[in-house]
Amino acid sequence: MNTIANNIADFLKEYAPFKYLSFDELAAIATNIRVLNLEVNKTLFKVDGPLHDVFYVVASGLVNLTVIVDAEENILNKCHEGAIFGLRPFFAKNNYTMTAKAREESILYAIPIAVFRPFVANNTDVLNFLLENFAVNTRNSKDKESLHNNQISDSVFYTGQTSEMQYFQTLSYNNNPITVSHSDTVQETAQLMAESKNTCAVICSNKIPLGIVTDSDMSSKIATGRFPVTTTIDKIMVYPVITVLENVSLAEAQLLMLKNNVSHLCVTQDGSDKSAVKGVISEHDLVVAQANNPGVLVKEIKRAHNVNDLKQIRFRLADLVQNSIQKNIPLTHVNNIASEITFALLKRAIELSILELGSPPARFAWLSIGSQGRKEQLLPTDQDSILIFEDVTPEKYREVKDYFLNLASKTTDLLEGVGYEACPNGHMAKNILWCKSLTDWMKQYNNWINTPGEHSGDLSSIFFDYELVYGEQKIEDAISSTVFQNMENNTLFFDFLGNDALRKNSPLTFFKNFNVEEEGSHKDKFDIKTKALMPLIDGARLFTLSFKVKGINNTYIRFKQLAMVDPKHAETYLECAEAFLVLSKIRTLEGIKNDNSGQFVNLEELSKIDRDKLKNALAPMRKLEDLIKDKFQLTHFS
Amino acid sequence: MLDWLKNINKEYPEFYKEYLAKFSEKSNRYVMLSTETTGLNPKDDVVLTISAFAVVDDSILIGDNFEHILLQYKYFHDNKLSNEFIIESKMEKLSEPEAIEKFINYLGNAVIVGHHIDFDVEMINASLERLGCGRLKNEALDIDIMYRKLQDITDKEFSLVELSEAFKTPISDRNSSADDAYTIAVLFLKLKSRLRIK
Repeated sequence: MNTIANNIADFLKEYAPFKYLSFDELAAIATNIRVLNLEVNKTLFKVDGPLHDVFYVVASGLVNLTVIVDAEENILNKCHEGAIFGLRPFFAKNNYTMTAKAREESILYAIPIAVFRPFVANNTDVLNFLLENFAVNTRNSKDKESLHNNQISDSVFYTGQTSEMQYFQTLSYNNNPITVSHSDTVQETAQLMAESKNTCAVICSNKIPLGIVTDSDMSSKIATGRFPVTTTIDKIMVYPVITVLENVSLAEAQLLMLKNNVSHLCVTQDGSDKSAVKGVISEHDLVVAQANNPGVLVKEIKRAHNVNDLKQIRFRLADLVQNSIQKNIPLTHVNNIASEITFALLKRAIELSILELGSPPARFAWLSIGSQGRKEQLLPTDQDSILIFEDVTPEKYREVKDYFLNLASKTTDLLEGVGYEACPNGHMAKNILWCKSLTDWMKQYNNWINTPGEHSGDLSSIFFDYELVYGEQKIEDAISSTVFQNMENNTLFFDFLGNDALRKNSPLTFFKNFNVEEEGSHKDKFDIKTKALMPLIDGARLFTLSFKVKGINNTYIRFKQLAMVDPKHAETYLECAEAFLVLSKIRTLEGIKNDNSGQFVNLEELSKIDRDKLKNALAPMRKLEDLIKDKFQLTHFS
Repeated sequence: MLDWLKNINKEYPEFYKEYLAKFSEKSNRYVMLSTETTGLNPKDDVVLTISAFAVVDDSILIGDNFEHILLQYKYFHDNKLSNEFIIESKMEKLSEPEAIEKFINYLGNAVIVGHHIDFDVEMINASLERLGCGRLKNEALDIDIMYRKLQDITDKEFSLVELSEAFKTPISDRNSSADDAYTIAVLFLKLKSRLRIK
């Protein structure tokens, strides 16, 4: 009798592959488990470290698995509760190919391989589960679905991750190339190539590559009759071979091919042509790798049929954002791609709900507001949306409103399932307040603009960052024109917004230190969202509204646009635009690292350079504040 | 006052002598101990369950455990209490002398760790005395004291639940001495690495 072993068995049976085992079997396994505690940032095993005699299940906390590609640390996977990792000893005898490090303090169950092996051998379900997850060279979307709850994170045959920003992923390539010796004839070689449908063969002596023969050599040198098929292969081979290291990225491979004007690269153990051949990268591999790009993602969204399909796509979107950011792709670029995909996702969610409910009884517009509306949503934050339907006769009003409320709650629930949390302030179309007819919405905006402060309880400036997701463009235009009409010479409203923008605490203290949180669970962390990003976002909104710049919601583009409209202060605007990018990047990185919204940045984890970057990015805010005070004649005390 | 002189030649039971012999070596094993008792008085109250886990090399060995319920028929009879829960429990049942002997064999020379451990040790000592044995010789660590040392707090005691909350470890809703022992083990690992105890 072992109470805790039973408790652990209870925990395990929720997750594959353990769920294929009986409770008694699990209890027997649990009896042999060791429980470890891993402090934050402690490494469990390292790339090339010796194998442990156990594999691990995360009981609580978060463990990151990373590999080094092109001299940079890349997160392969994040292991949450119930995830299995470190299975390499099952399949291979050489050392670990990745590093496991605790991102949060974690408790791990270490299950001895020797204990678990008989269950793998005797239970086909368990075996299949493990094989399915290891036999594939790359994690495709299907795996991700089966894994989203329970990620086996250990691609033993790891040759590359299919992340969306393909240019920077490592490649999967043929790691079992045809090798021939230099005394073989052309005919023999051609025969081998034809049989295995390979486009090239490597000529080796003792596994060291001497040269390479490709299809094009065959056609240009043999088929033309310049050499007979009985010549030895070394007469027509191309040499020296262009060799690369194992974990070369797509971008690098492409560059090398272009530079050397070759179609094949030879992968060797240490990257030089003096070590053993490990594989061949062909142009075709590059093409294959590029097939998985943002365009494909959008197409897949259009074909998605249920929450799970969309959820998978969102996971891949997260991968895409993470990889592109880590690889220094310009943030504006990432932003564009990410928001296009997010919008396609939202649109599909609405479509799916309409399919379920039947066609709408009136025309309507679904607007995203807040960060989604500004197209700045890199991390999966909460969803904010409103719904506007066209005016209908009073007798039909009720019915129509019911339909749209229903539609909205279906859609928001769906999105919640996909992973966009509900807005804590209830800024969602399923809220009876934010699902109204066009006239009601116009009144609402009139009220907000003409009598700000009176209902300040429900005025949130995010309502002025809206973007059409689905429905009638005309409805959005109508709202926009109402907003801009009412704003004409409306000092009261700008006073209000201006003060709102200025109210945020200064990010730096008097002594130019970071103004960190003084208490609470985020003590000593820097609140980058409220103290650095919000003032810029508010400022950009304020100025665009006052300069009547229509239809631009993105903060970065707003600043850029402002620099053109108001050339006198162009410098400040441009500085703010750059600062905004730097700050969002820091926030996104922090969010990716911790799997949250990245609102609180742990300054101690930033490098000195990053800290200086952050500090510099805060400098333009002062100027922006002065500009606001100056333009709208606000003092600190108004 | 000279009681110890009287005892000097006293013959201890065999298992206790073996236990004493184990202390010639130092142990790297820690045993998490949690008991359930009928009350707080070591003299009159008795131990109902003993649960223990071993920690070696910074990991809890789930298999190296000790979980027994003690049949305290006499106590229940004397106090006119129902012993139903003992009968219904699925845990292995042993009489007090058997259980204590088994526990002493299990414990060996390991370092005892517990929450407010002095009381558990005192209860076991009382049982040992009834068997004509000496006291427990093991070193004992208290996770509450370890935590207070870590935080530099001297004027407050922490319950197991409070400690669990402080370290954000999940609290088991099942409330048995085995669960407590496991919680103690997890907290001990955390405290151990923070206090850099080897």
